[in-house]
Amino acid sequence: MNLYQPHLVRIEEMVDETLDTRTFKLSFEHAAVGEKFDFKAGQFGEYSVFGAGECTFCIASPPTRKGYIEASFKVVGKVTRAMRRLNVGDTMGFRGPYGNHFPLDQMRGKNLLFIAGGIGLAPVRCVIWNALDLRDQFQDVTIIYGARSVADLVYQRELEDWARRSDVRLYQCVDPGGETPDWKGAVCFVPSLVEKVAPSPHDAYAIVCGPPIMITFTLPLLEKLGFASDRVYTTLENRMKCGLGKCGRCNIGSVYVCKDGPVFTAAQLKTLPPEY
Amino acid sequence: MNTRRTLSTADLGALVGDLIAAGTTVVAPIRFVDQGRASIEYGPVQSPDEMDLDGPQPSRSLKEAVFPPTEVLFRWRQAKSAVEIEEVPVSFKETVVVGARPCDAAALEILDRVMGWDFRDELWFGRRQATTVLALACTRCDESCFCTAVGLSPASTRGADWFLTPVEGGFEVEVLTLKGQALLERHKARCPEAEGSTTKRVADLEQEVRAHLDVRPDRIRAWLETHFDDALWKRLALRCHGCGACAFVCPTCHCFDMVDEPDGIDGGARRRNWDTCQSALFTLHGSGYNPRKDQAARFRQRILHKFAIYPKRFGEVLCTGCGRCVRVCAAGMDLVAILAEIGRTAAERGGSA
Repeated sequence: MNLYQPHLVRIEEMVDETLDTRTFKLSFEHAAVGEKFDFKAGQFGEYSVFGAGECTFCIASPPTRKGYIEASFKVVGKVTRAMRRLNVGDTMGFRGPYGNHFPLDQMRGKNLLFIAGGIGLAPVRCVIWNALDLRDQFQDVTIIYGARSVADLVYQRELEDWARRSDVRLYQCVDPGGETPDWKGAVCFVPSLVEKVAPSPHDAYAIVCGPPIMITFTLPLLEKLGFASDRVYTTLENRMKCGLGKCGRCNIGSVYVCKDGPVFTAAQLKTLPPEY
Repeated sequence: MNTRRTLSTADLGALVGDLIAAGTTVVAPIRFVDQGRASIEYGPVQSPDEMDLDGPQPSRSLKEAVFPPTEVLFRWRQAKSAVEIEEVPVSFKETVVVGARPCDAAALEILDRVMGWDFRDELWFGRRQATTVLALACTRCDESCFCTAVGLSPASTRGADWFLTPVEGGFEVEVLTLKGQALLERHKARCPEAEGSTTKRVADLEQEVRAHLDVRPDRIRAWLETHFDDALWKRLALRCHGCGACAFVCPTCHCFDMVDEPDGIDGGARRRNWDTCQSALFTLHGSGYNPRKDQAARFRQRILHKFAIYPKRFGEVLCTGCGRCVRVCAAGMDLVAILAEIGRTAAERGGSA
């Protein structure tokens, strides 16, 4: 079995997050592979639909929950369209885990600030649940999440869960025009909500993921709030094929997103050429 | 390891004949004539007479002997929800390359670094393992050759298992590796020991190549690392069509795509195919966003990858100075002139300007 050959995984469950975003719960077809499989929050995989090709997604479930992995995907291109046509019980391929991860060990005992926009909640959700499953190891957990509209909020059942928990502070927003009459959250863009909430940088780490425009406006805000740029983490999503540092596609300067990333600090981003 | 032997032209032919008879694939430069136009390409030979070791450089590089333009990674069969995967072998038929150009032999060793970096590409190393490279000192060059500017020479033995230097009536053979030694053991009778050291390095040719381009790769790198936004990129890239021919003839370009090729409705193969960073699709996101938005950015990537990124990651330049990209370019993009210009600018402005 060469390194480009995927493991077979079975779709155990699927949940529609929004009209165009779906989550698959996947288990390894060969139990031995599943038992050996381990990963860290922030790592990604190459998911196959045989006949359509491979696609890169983060692993959206936390490593604290064994026996399965989850992938959330939005229908965008050839592979995600093919994924949309699959059903529970169907077989897919998976290679991974690849790449680096969020340094949760370093974050132990600190305050955690999560900021996400749209489907960008998927990699962040993996870290959120990882931290919440080990809740006593961390201090305050603050989540700031927004999407274009109420219908575009992903993991709604979990947002409700986090909203109810007393050990999580959740702030939500939707873009102006995206609200519904019964929307209780803010109506603004994510960076504005960050400005309003003004989370304290004291003893804190920030994990930020979302569309490029959100990142562009959020990082300077965090800096203004006093977050050190080496304590602000994000993940990059350049186009990839191999995920193994061979195919040459995801380079940003001398950095291979698939090997040196996908997790980078804001400090690292500043040293990269603007090709992400 | 360095054993000197001699090999007459007739004995080289006989050795190739022996190899073919023993079932070994022999790859060598072959002359093709197509509609009156002759070209030299590396290819498998059925008899020693097909080899053309005296002709000009083959127009495509040797990399396809180890890294085919298209290659099956695995096959699958599907019956309803169940999928079965059929592996492809990672051990390959023994192959001997006769008459590899020094610039092509060196490229294989340079590519070992990225192919073995952390994750080991078994397909690459499987073919590498099965392939013995008999490189041949260059005896002719053209104005596009610049191997001396990237630390090689017409007599560079890098990446070779045997190195052949033309002498009167045949070749002097240097056996350089264990793999080369193993080949020698099987064909000792054809290669008597050389009397004394008669090898005359191809010094004249080296001077000639040096005259084409004399730059310092470390200066080029220093300049590239500090001039990401230089106006040079837009100006140079104006002519580039983004066709990627340069990448396909390049002995060191190794970027690839992975695609599924259905075979009927219930199965198919996943393949990897050569790809090129010169194409806009190469980095296009599903969302429509493209981090390398114009040809200038894509052209810059090719130069940076070869002369700044690879040296930084793997300690050496991703170029052997073979000159093929210069010869093949329909738009006349000339890497020799481009490197000379960067070299001049770097010397004038200094690396950190």
